[in-house]
Amino acid sequence: MTIYTLTSGRTIPQGSFVEHKISQGYREATSILFIHPMDLFDLGIESGDNVRVSSEAGSVVLKTQETETLREGCVFIALGPYANAITGGYSHGTGMPDYKEISVEIEPTDDPIVTVWDLMEDIGGLRYDS
Amino acid sequence: MIVEDVPCPFCGCLCDDITLTVKNNRIVGVENCCVLGNAKFLSKKRLKHPIMRKDGAWVEVSFDEAIEETARILTGANRPLLYGWSGTYNEAQVTAVHLAEELGALIDSTTSVCHNPSIIAIQEVGHPGCTLGQVKNRADLVIYWGCNPIEAHPRHLSRYSTYADGYFFENTVRDRKVVVVDIRESETAKIADEFIQVKPGGDYLILSALRAMVRGRGDVVPATVAGVKKEQLERVVEACQNASYGAVFFGLGVSMTRGKYKNIRNAIELVSELNRKTKFTISAMRGHYNVYGFNEVLTWMAGYPFAVDFSRGIAFYNPGETTVIDVLARKEPDACLVVASDPGAHFPKTCIEHMAAIPTIQIDPCVNPTTALCQVQIPVAITGIEVAGTAYRMDGVPIRMKKVVETEFPTDKQVLDRICERVRELNGNG
Repeated sequence: MTIYTLTSGRTIPQGSFVEHKISQGYREATSILFIHPMDLFDLGIESGDNVRVSSEAGSVVLKTQETETLREGCVFIALGPYANAITGGYSHGTGMPDYKEISVEIEPTDDPIVTVWDLMEDIGGLRYDS
Repeated sequence: MIVEDVPCPFCGCLCDDITLTVKNNRIVGVENCCVLGNAKFLSKKRLKHPIMRKDGAWVEVSFDEAIEETARILTGANRPLLYGWSGTYNEAQVTAVHLAEELGALIDSTTSVCHNPSIIAIQEVGHPGCTLGQVKNRADLVIYWGCNPIEAHPRHLSRYSTYADGYFFENTVRDRKVVVVDIRESETAKIADEFIQVKPGGDYLILSALRAMVRGRGDVVPATVAGVKKEQLERVVEACQNASYGAVFFGLGVSMTRGKYKNIRNAIELVSELNRKTKFTISAMRGHYNVYGFNEVLTWMAGYPFAVDFSRGIAFYNPGETTVIDVLARKEPDACLVVASDPGAHFPKTCIEHMAAIPTIQIDPCVNPTTALCQVQIPVAITGIEVAGTAYRMDGVPIRMKKVVETEFPTDKQVLDRICERVRELNGNG
């Protein structure tokens, strides 16, 4: 399977919802996988289709969005709980984990994108619905 | 009521020219602000009461009960972790360091997962830095490396660089050149005079190639470096050497990739090389509005800027060992206090798994992913909107945050003072 390089970073929509991380807006802003159209073509899917992105640390379902601002083989996601579901805690003795430059596999899926609360409950948390 | 010159409590730019319209003790209008700060000033949703988990369900509790439970958990822990601090003011951070010392805790801030490598590099080779006013008025070449200010620090370009008026310029947009180095053509890259699209993890190679060229040893540089043509690097070196004042701003694209602090060290050393030919400075694009402030406070009080472990009875600092990610990955802490940050959204899954498994307490105005990992959450007043205090801009300039509306919520400092006082009583040090 092809190995892609995933990088995370800030985006305006992610930053705008930073005080509302339980909202649908934040979920949408942080669960989009930006990907080159040729990579979508290789995967046999179209922009907007869901994919399962897997690294050594875990896997998560994201929605694709095509962009030619990336080189082929590089994919991008806004920072947040979806990116961190596939980020490992190893820091190479520096304190800084690999939030960028993560090797991932990508496969098409019909699975849905889970909510932020679902991600937190998967690791033993408890949602708070006010 | 119109309140002018309000500093914005969002990013490290700490823009202090915001005008707010306040009606019936509520902010109804925001001027001069970017979309990120605007969203924060106008935000309405917040946690209204302290909450605590009892018998597997959330219940509302009083501030007294939540503070008592927090003090009990922290005092009973063998290896407490105090984390966060970048979204609160210096006066509250001072209490945090006292609390850490009293508990023999490990205290770390969001620095650990943003510019920690930059600080390590600066400790190794120094910091040829400057304030943002110098860049605004003097820099005729600005390099944004591994950062995307249009989306992360939206007013950085209009207040301090590309689009800002400068005292020594007739027309900054024409006379100030912008170089962007990134792996993708970000929004900032689109407005650059020169965009260097580097392969992921190639920063160190590019920096080394540039250093060789500045030293007059371009002959050792191959035809392409990390996906970048030598001719482009030669153009950039020429632009740097011809600049009267060059300013490099770097972001997490440099500090988080392969090489970590070695990348930053190489960037600082490139700037040192350039200073043999002309004037050059380098600065970190700090994220939270007061992440710099915590580094200041901890350095004044403990001697180190982040990741300080008080478990030996003295301040011990060893990034890679005493950094929050590493202690959580090793599953060391048996209790955790999170203040003014959101590790639930921003830490790797394996680290927050451990936070969910130990008693974790959060002090924060909003419900966020970290809430789900906690046993207790205490809501507080919002710094810079409901409480005044000191914060440090990304260039180390302290700015007084304003209080613009009244609130019934206690401040971070008041809650931390009460926890600290109770911990001292429980420890017999009251």
